[in-house]
Formats: sequence, C-alpha cells, structure tokens
Amino acid sequence: MTSNILILCATGMLVSAYLMVGQKALLTTIRLYGAQSLLLGIVATTIALAEGRHELFVTAALTVTLKAALIPWFLLRTVDRIGIHREIEPALNVPASLLVCLGLTVVGYRVSTGFLEGARGVGHHLIGVALSLLLIGLFLMVTRKKAITQILALLTVENAVFLVAIGVTEGMPFIVELGISFDVILAVLVLGILVQRIVGRFESMDISRLSKLKG
Amino acid sequence: MIPDVLLATGAALLQAGGMLAVAPLLKTLIKKMKARLQNRQGPPLWQGYYDLAKLLRKEPVRSETASWVFVAGPRVYFAAAVAATTLVPVLIAAAPLEAAGGILLLVGTLALGRFALATAALDTGSPFGGMGASRDMTIAALAEPALLLGLFASALAVGTMNLGALVRTLLEQEPAWHPSDFLAFAGLFIIVIAETGRIPVDNPATHLELTMIHEAMVLEYSGPDLALVEWASAVKELLYLTLLANLFMPIGIALRAEPVALAIALVAWAGKVFLLAVAVTVVESTNAKLRLFRVPELVSVSLGLAFLALAIRFL
Repeated sequence: MTSNILILCATGMLVSAYLMVGQKALLTTIRLYGAQSLLLGIVATTIALAEGRHELFVTAALTVTLKAALIPWFLLRTVDRIGIHREIEPALNVPASLLVCLGLTVVGYRVSTGFLEGARGVGHHLIGVALSLLLIGLFLMVTRKKAITQILALLTVENAVFLVAIGVTEGMPFIVELGISFDVILAVLVLGILVQRIVGRFESMDISRLSKLKG
Repeated sequence: MIPDVLLATGAALLQAGGMLAVAPLLKTLIKKMKARLQNRQGPPLWQGYYDLAKLLRKEPVRSETASWVFVAGPRVYFAAAVAATTLVPVLIAAAPLEAAGGILLLVGTLALGRFALATAALDTGSPFGGMGASRDMTIAALAEPALLLGLFASALAVGTMNLGALVRTLLEQEPAWHPSDFLAFAGLFIIVIAETGRIPVDNPATHLELTMIHEAMVLEYSGPDLALVEWASAVKELLYLTLLANLFMPIGIALRAEPVALAIALVAWAGKVFLLAVAVTVVESTNAKLRLFRVPELVSVSLGLAFLALAIRFL
C-alpha cells in the first residue's frame, strides 16, 4: 500500500510537470506547482508513517505550508499585481517541448536503473521520476522567457531533489533541510521583487530584453 | 442450456439498453453539479429525458440541399455509440460482445461514428457545419492516437487487447500500481474531456461561433435527428467514464452473474462514475476555455503522457 501511494504521488508530480510544459497560463502553472508540492508533502508523510521516521513529519509540514501554500500565494499575488497572465511564445513551441521532455524522461528513467537503490521496486520509480523532474525543470528554465516561469522551473528542480532526498536516502539533517527551506522562500521573495522591478522598467516579463542595450 | 450466441446477444441488449437509459441522467447530473458550484439551482435531474422526449416528438427540418448523407449521419453516429457500449465491461468483468473484438474495434467503432457525423456536417454546405467538422477532426487526429496508446498501456500490463479479459485479469491479480497506470489515466482523462466536448476544449453550453466545435457540427440538425446526436453524445460520455473507471479502478466488478455480486457491482459502478463526473465538473468549473489554437497543445500533452505510459513499462 505504501509503495502504491508513493508511486501514485511521484507520478502525479511528473504529470504536473508535463502539464506545466503543456500550457502557458501563468496562474495554472503556479497552481500546478502548488499541487506538485502538496504531492511531495504526501510522499513525506507516507514515508514518515510507514517507516516511523518522525522527523519527516516536520519536512512534510514545512513542504506543505511553504511550498504548497505560501509560495504559490505569493507568486499569484505578484502575477496579480503586475497584471501579466500569459507566457509569451517560448523559445521552443509546445509540441516540440513535449517531445524533448519525453526524451528527457526516458533518459531519467534509464539512468535511474544505474543506481544501486534504483535497480528495482519503488526506488526505481522515485529516482526515475525525480531525475525526469530535474531535467524537465532545467529544460523549462532554458526555454521559457518569463521570469515567473523560470522561478517555477527552479522550484520544480528543488522539488525533484527533495523527492530523492526523502524517498531514497536516509534524509537530510534537519538543520540542512531548514536551511534549504528558508533559502527557497528567500529566493522566491527576492525573485518576486526582481520580477516586479523588471516589469516596472521594461513593461514586460520577457527576460531576453535584459540583454538588450539601453541607450 | 441457452446457446452462447443468444446469451451474448441478450447481455448486449441489456447492457446497451441500460447505458442508453442512464446516459441522459449523467449529462444532467454534470450540468446540475456545475450549476450548484456557481450558486445556481440547475435543471431537475430528469431534464435530459424531457429534452430528448421533446426533440423526438418534433418534426425534423432539413435543408433542401441536404442529401442522404445528412440523414444518415446521426443514425450512424447513434448506432456506433450503442454498438460501442457492448464492447466494454460495465458490471460484469466481461463485455457482452467481447468475442467480436477488443480495444481496436472499440476505437474504430467510435471513429466510424465521428466520421459519419463530420461528413454529414459537410453535406449541407453551411459554413458552420464545415467549420465544426474541420475543428472536430483536428482534435480527433491527436485524440484518437492518444486514446489508443493509453488503452494499449493498460493492455500491455496484462497482455491482452480484449477489454473483458483485461478487466478479469486485473481483478484476479494483486493490485500493484505502476507509474504507467497513472500516466495512462491522466492522459485518458484529458482525452475524455476533449472527446466529450467539455470546457477547456469545447463549451457544451454555448453557441458562440468563434469557439464551438461539436455544437457547430450539429447546428443544422433539429427534432429527432438532433435527439439522436445528443443521446449518442451522452452515451459516449458515459462509455468513456465507465472505461476509465473499470480499467483503472476495477474494484467491485462482478466476476460472475450472481444477484448479490451484480448489486454490489451496480453500486460500485455508479459510485465510480459519479466520482469521475465530479472530477469532470470541477475541471470544467475551475478552468477557462482554451483558445482553439491552444487545444492541440493540451491534447498533445495527453498524447505525450499516453506515450510515456507505454514507454515506462520497458524502462
């Protein structure tokens, strides 16, 4: 049962990443990220209950409050304030992006069989999904031009790292976890302000304009 | 002993009749739940039947330029939808006419119905019909392979393309989830929304020329012809939800035709279809309709997910 729930949630995270790639409305992307973080929280809770690792309850609580509620709320507010709701045409169009992401998932899954832990069973799927998420996150960061989408891609990568850390390893020391969580929230805050500044100056969230000379 | 042929025919008639009887209820139920989410009263649950009865009583009005293709369209569409219901296991872990074929026949039958309706829409030469047909085909060209791939993914897990045998094997073996199942489910869920003309793809409640797909295709129909199209669409929707429920949540399906097991199966089936209907309603109420040019992107996501579901089995 435990492994079923873990697989369900991990695959759900992968599906949410695909939906992020597949559409351009910023609000939906932010909500998808919230759902993804919620699933990560469920993964942490499930492992905590099944293996009696009580410190994971704290991780789950942190994940859900920070990443599934606070960060999406903050980003939604930022989007609301700057009044830009859509991703502009990404560097690669959606069907092509999806094809690339399919390839990346296959690569991630193939690589996961190389890990000792990932040879079979739940570990295989968890590492496979996490590596795929990591690659998809990096890919999104490269191809999307909006600052908000890039933040979300960065956060997806961070979710992927957490999935491996929680699901496969013995878990990170608590202080490291706390540090990462605050790092993430600080990064989002700073990036949120940065986005507002970019929009204020360039009247667009297109970060490719940053490299243009201003006379 | 009753010969197998008669038994299968009887079961097929019962199942098709049952699905035909329940389908309008499902459609109204979704409409009602949607209305409730928007703080409206919504139609009474029997509204679907009233609408059909009203339409069936009326006289069909057909364009002077319409040929037999226009008349045949709704009939073939309706027949295909009814035929498809006999290929899917609903209450018992066996489809009445499973000897005839499995996944490929099911998808092919549904494609035949769609083809008939699209050609009929082109027949009168009205711009709306042609527009609707071309839009419907654009989406179908992506949705159909995704549907096939998604169904293949679950067939691959069990080793049979026959839907009845597939569900039987699923029931007998230990429930062990694979990422592939969930990916296929997610892919097929998007397909169901696209195929039944629900909101991110098409809006069943409006006749706005810029956005309508299915409604544009059947705009020329009236009276009994329209009733057939509406009824068949409702049956198709119920069919897709049943397929999703029974392939991915095969709990409660009866293995043998015993009264108690059948009663449990009926309750389980109604519950599962209701849950899926709630999911469809929530998706419809919380999303905005996509621009037509964005729809292929959404459908290609489901194609990607279905492909991935298949690929992950080999990794």
